[in-house]
Amino acid sequence: MRRALLVLALAAAPVAVSAQSSQFGVRGLGMPGRPIGARAFGSGGAFAMFDPQSGLTPAALGGLAALTAGFAALQDFRHVENPGGSQSLRETRFPHLSVAGPIGSRPGVVGVSFSNYTSRDFTLASADTIPLRGVPVPVTDTFASRGGLSDLRAAGAYRFKDVWIVGGAFHVITGSARLSSRRSFGDAAYQAARQRSELSYTGVGVSLGVVRNFGKALSVAATVRSDGHVNVDRDSARVGRIDLPYTFGLGVRWRARPGLELASQAVMKTWSAANSDFLAQGGTGADNTVEVAFGGEYTPDPQRPGRRPIRFGARYGTLPFLLVPGEQPHELGVSIGTGIRFAKDRAGIDLGLEHVWRSAGEFSERAFLFNVGVTVRP
Amino acid sequence: MRARLRLGWQWAGGIAVLGAAMTACQERLTSPAECPELCPGGSAQVFDTTVIALQDRDSSFTGYVDRGAGPALLVSNGFTASDDRAVYRFAPRGDSITVRDTLRAYTVDSAVIGLTLVARDTNVNGLKVYLYRLPPTVDSTVSFDVVDPLLADPALIDSIAVPDSVNGGALQTVLRGADVDRLGLPVGGDSVLAIGLRIAAEAPTGVRVGSIAGGTAATFTTYVTVDVPDTGLVRNQSLNRASVFNTFVTRDPPQPSDSLLTVGGEPSSRAIIRFELSDAFLDSATIVRATLELVPTQPIVSLPTDPAILETRAVLGDIGAKSPLTTQPALVQQDTLPALQTDTVRVELTRVVQAWQASRVAPQSVFMLLRPEAASFTRAVFGSTRSPAVGAPRLRITYQRAFPFETP
Repeated sequence: MRRALLVLALAAAPVAVSAQSSQFGVRGLGMPGRPIGARAFGSGGAFAMFDPQSGLTPAALGGLAALTAGFAALQDFRHVENPGGSQSLRETRFPHLSVAGPIGSRPGVVGVSFSNYTSRDFTLASADTIPLRGVPVPVTDTFASRGGLSDLRAAGAYRFKDVWIVGGAFHVITGSARLSSRRSFGDAAYQAARQRSELSYTGVGVSLGVVRNFGKALSVAATVRSDGHVNVDRDSARVGRIDLPYTFGLGVRWRARPGLELASQAVMKTWSAANSDFLAQGGTGADNTVEVAFGGEYTPDPQRPGRRPIRFGARYGTLPFLLVPGEQPHELGVSIGTGIRFAKDRAGIDLGLEHVWRSAGEFSERAFLFNVGVTVRP
Repeated sequence: MRARLRLGWQWAGGIAVLGAAMTACQERLTSPAECPELCPGGSAQVFDTTVIALQDRDSSFTGYVDRGAGPALLVSNGFTASDDRAVYRFAPRGDSITVRDTLRAYTVDSAVIGLTLVARDTNVNGLKVYLYRLPPTVDSTVSFDVVDPLLADPALIDSIAVPDSVNGGALQTVLRGADVDRLGLPVGGDSVLAIGLRIAAEAPTGVRVGSIAGGTAATFTTYVTVDVPDTGLVRNQSLNRASVFNTFVTRDPPQPSDSLLTVGGEPSSRAIIRFELSDAFLDSATIVRATLELVPTQPIVSLPTDPAILETRAVLGDIGAKSPLTTQPALVQQDTLPALQTDTVRVELTRVVQAWQASRVAPQSVFMLLRPEAASFTRAVFGSTRSPAVGAPRLRITYQRAFPFETP
């Protein structure tokens, strides 16, 4: 009973879920999120295809031996540069929350997770001088958005003799973006003008995944996901729909020797499916993305794998929403991490730090992302 | 025991790291924007439009505050705005007072006439106020042509030289001995003192003096001695007489014209101006500035350093001259008129027009008045919709259309 209450309390925790924001999330649907737990974060996401607390593939849930709840908090320290200027920013987010556990004594696992799909949190400021009533008047424009799309997933996985794990999930993609435009004038005779609008999104998707264990040293995982489309309402009126991408992922995990695991994965998303929708609505379009990650986890004491492992990784990927037509943004990240388990492995904290470089033409940014994950096994 | 302590430290450390990560860093989200790349939807566009007042629906109404009923009286000497003389009449002073239950005659030792200087042009030196005796029958029917000839040497009571450093406050003149006779109050019977004021200065100028409505009217005090026979007793008393009537008269006072909008003057005039902004406009525009523009028919002259206030109020219910006006400070606009206004008068009405957007029931009308009413040298006369040669009142509105938020 106490376990159930704790799980319910965690699931009902009122957290805002979104990934780190970026100037590369200003256009389109926003900055795509990475549904990965804090443990996978420290290795550049390379272990996400095998991490039960990540949301990349439902088959990964099969690795869970007990009811587990986890959430991650992400602190973003970012420096943005573009032709309009440069600025240092910071932001706190909660990118992933998951609860999952085995079904009795059967080799099946079910769970729910709540993660960020895209983030549209940003505030942009610009200054200009415009003629008003024949007089040049300085103006300051601020355009802000808060919100994004979230991915609510109900997933299940089944183990076949610890060799095959197959999983499936149903996704509800929903969210909103509260937009506001504010213009203030250098001449006090003009009153600042503020206008607001709210966009809301709804869509559903399904995903399938499989993990094949070749002994204890080698595992391969694959996943495919279809998100269909999202309907877009502006201020409660339907304004259109946007096709969402198919996702294809492939990962491999290799235990090089006791205490050292290496992993790699590649994920492709067909965001170009949404290109025509964005262009039709006056946007700048979208392009397919690929992300490749490589990482490892070194455990100083293989008998106690939860005691301060050392994680490391790197990733490179492209971003879907273009700022400049024909110039696709891309990012490179290197990360390290560690963690600790305590209370007889019933609780744990994982820490990860990633340095990310993103750029597209004259637009660039670099960021330190600090991830803290908490895991509880009631 | 040691293991439990260590476990506790680990928990505390974990919670501290988590708490630091989540709360120690204040969010900072604003970054520079470069358009069009980082301007989804584009930039806000600002437009300008001019709306003329409804034809023949702008009017002046006269008679709100009568001449002399304002908070001050006008006195001037050839001032450009107007040439004025002030008049006070005091309460009657009897020829005897009661001492030991008996009415007894008295002898006047001295008298004091007090005035209040409300405002003057501090740039003009050598101000001198002259007090003249007027017939005790003076009343509201008197005109400049009647009063001005009476303000001559034979009726002069006294003059008060106002130091150049004095900008306002109490003035008084004291009459003693034979000078008391200048008051011209007859012996025997009730006597009424009425006085008229004119001024002189180094240059044509004007002053505003106190009035009954302002609680600062002139006062008349007599210091008397009562001789009580057979007792050897002498009583010294003072008799205070307040003003019971005051007014001022103006040479050739202008009359409001039906084809123009008059604001101010005596009796005071107010103007109502009506507009009709379309629902389509009010629905879709974000108003950033609305300015009422009024074209004066002639330069508006005010007393330098004593400006008048042009007050514009939103109308709550349009029933003409007696329309109830708003008391919300945000919907009341007060503008100080300069000493000489020759250009178009512009009144900012952004809040008022925004209120019209918020409630379509509210009449799209404004009332204009001049403060202090009936107590200022300023008189504003503007063109109306019936005087196209001058220019009708118009509302100049700067607005933004709905921002074209990009979808998604």
